[in-house]
Amino acid sequence: MSAPPETAATLPRAAIPGSPGTVAALTAVTRLLVFVGIALMLIPLLMTAYMSLFADGVVTFPPSGYTLSWYGRLAEFPKFGQSLSTSLRVAAMATLCSLLIGVPASIALVRYSFPGRGVLNVLLLSPLTVPGVVIGLGLYVLMVDVEIRTQFPLIGSDWVLILAHLLITTPWVVRLCVANLVQLDRSIEEAAANLGASPGRVLWSVTLPMMRQGIVAAALFAFIVSFENIEMTLFLISPGMITFPISVLQYLEYRFDPLVASVVVVQTAVIAALLLAIDRYVKLSKVV
Amino acid sequence: MSNASHLRIEGLTKLYGATAAVEDVNLDVAQGEMLVLLGPSGCGKTTTLRLVAGFVAATRGRILVEGKDYASLPPYQREMGMVFQSYALFPHLTVAQNVTFGLRMRKLPKAEIDTRLEQTLDMVKLTTMADRYPRQLSGGQQQRVALARALAIRPKVLLLDEPLSNLDANLRQSVAREIRQLQRAAGLTALMVTHDQNEAMTMADRLVLMNEGRVQQVGTQEELYEQPLNPFVARFIGHSNLVAGDLVEADSLRLPGGAVMKLARRYAQRGPHVLALRPERVRLHGEGDVAPPRATATVEDGTYVGGHVDYLLAFEGGASLALHEPTGATGGTRRARGERVALTWDAQNERLFDPNGAIVTAAEA
Repeated sequence: MSAPPETAATLPRAAIPGSPGTVAALTAVTRLLVFVGIALMLIPLLMTAYMSLFADGVVTFPPSGYTLSWYGRLAEFPKFGQSLSTSLRVAAMATLCSLLIGVPASIALVRYSFPGRGVLNVLLLSPLTVPGVVIGLGLYVLMVDVEIRTQFPLIGSDWVLILAHLLITTPWVVRLCVANLVQLDRSIEEAAANLGASPGRVLWSVTLPMMRQGIVAAALFAFIVSFENIEMTLFLISPGMITFPISVLQYLEYRFDPLVASVVVVQTAVIAALLLAIDRYVKLSKVV
Repeated sequence: MSNASHLRIEGLTKLYGATAAVEDVNLDVAQGEMLVLLGPSGCGKTTTLRLVAGFVAATRGRILVEGKDYASLPPYQREMGMVFQSYALFPHLTVAQNVTFGLRMRKLPKAEIDTRLEQTLDMVKLTTMADRYPRQLSGGQQQRVALARALAIRPKVLLLDEPLSNLDANLRQSVAREIRQLQRAAGLTALMVTHDQNEAMTMADRLVLMNEGRVQQVGTQEELYEQPLNPFVARFIGHSNLVAGDLVEADSLRLPGGAVMKLARRYAQRGPHVLALRPERVRLHGEGDVAPPRATATVEDGTYVGGHVDYLLAFEGGASLALHEPTGATGGTRRARGERVALTWDAQNERLFDPNGAIVTAAEA
């Protein structure tokens, strides 16, 4: 604000949109909002990491001291490791299967018109509109009924969980792939056909490669949605077969010590490592 | 012409429900000829091109290349190279991979692909760009890749969909010349679509003017300009004035406001007609400087644009006429608003149409 006073007096600077004063103020507000946003996202993570170092057996503030021993005691609870591997396995399979369903479905929805297209579109997205608890309960009742009639144990199998998770991951895959497809220039596929590519070749050599970013984004969302789901999964687990978020929940029912925080830190690190590995192949900042 | 025709379109029609996007289009294109489809948006020119390319299935009609009917074949069996308005380059492939895409689809031997790639890139002067991706190229370069990709397959027919519309104005002329040169050098039969009259005039061997799904007139630049077959052609090409009036005598056209024009020719018909006059083919005189004038009018407005003054004249009773007076003839002065002026024109510049839009020929000169 080193403007000569006479300029400031003759021009009501702040009132003119785009005047230097306004721009500076807007920049400051933007920076503040960005800072607040980042802080809001980081604080829970940092607090969890901080808590995992507390020495006390019950989380209190301020802690009486700090220790790394909770990490050392993780080995005493193999349930966490088992449930983490179950969760990763289920999420990976659910992601893969929902891509196999969702990618072709989105191509059909965007590129072709056929009877029942509108119905299919609604059907593929409808699970998003039903609360997870309701889906979970519905599936549970169905499973029990099927088990009674067939004498075939369903609850507690990987495949039941994977199929259930497909219900919530597929809508995301369809949504993201459809959004990706509609913004692709249709004439690129026509150009391929014009150059002699049969419909199958067009799909394989042009459409799918161009959808890469959409597919990676879809896979990422599907994985996260499956991995973090509690409310639906809660109905479908059995004593030997629980997912990671549920093992954390069950642990917290009996104890509230920093061990849980250290578990979460390890889990975050595993997911972060996975993301970094993916980022080597597709720049995630361009995708999401 | 029909004996020599390389691409022949017969009765081509595309109906969407009951509405015709393209109706009964018949065209003959000679080997090596560039035929340009021109018309306002929605006139069916792009649909015609897409019908020829096979992206749209024809309701009726035949598309013959060297006597073989392609109308029912899918696009990938048509052997036509198309350049798209958006270029439609494959974003995930390099320039070289884009250019060789069609050759790889044809499973040509590697050596042949390499030779053609080299030749084609050389033709469009992009040899040094072979390993770049489309997004790393300028608009003009992308356009040349699109052209190279279409030429590499040595198509039977080259299809161009508004190839210049995405380029900067100052690039258009040189790219137009380049496309024309490559097409001539390869002796390619080409069909191009554009809405831009200048572009059409520059590029075409012959033009096809379309409106509402139908061909209005086919001909050279001179034919369309000098001998428009209906009022639409007269208006679209070169913005003819269309003056509606009543033919009350063999050489008198009475305008709605009461003013009477003395025509250069004599006609046997009577009743409502439309007179087409080109703005630059009507001479302007001071009132009383010429006797007898064909019409008299008042200057409504005059815009000095350099080579000529763009006048808007009003006839008694409200009808108006646009007119260009070369500035060389007047020494660079502009007529004042409200000035009374006299008009004359020569017989060959007078085109009279009946209410159905059909040309009316003179009974006697």
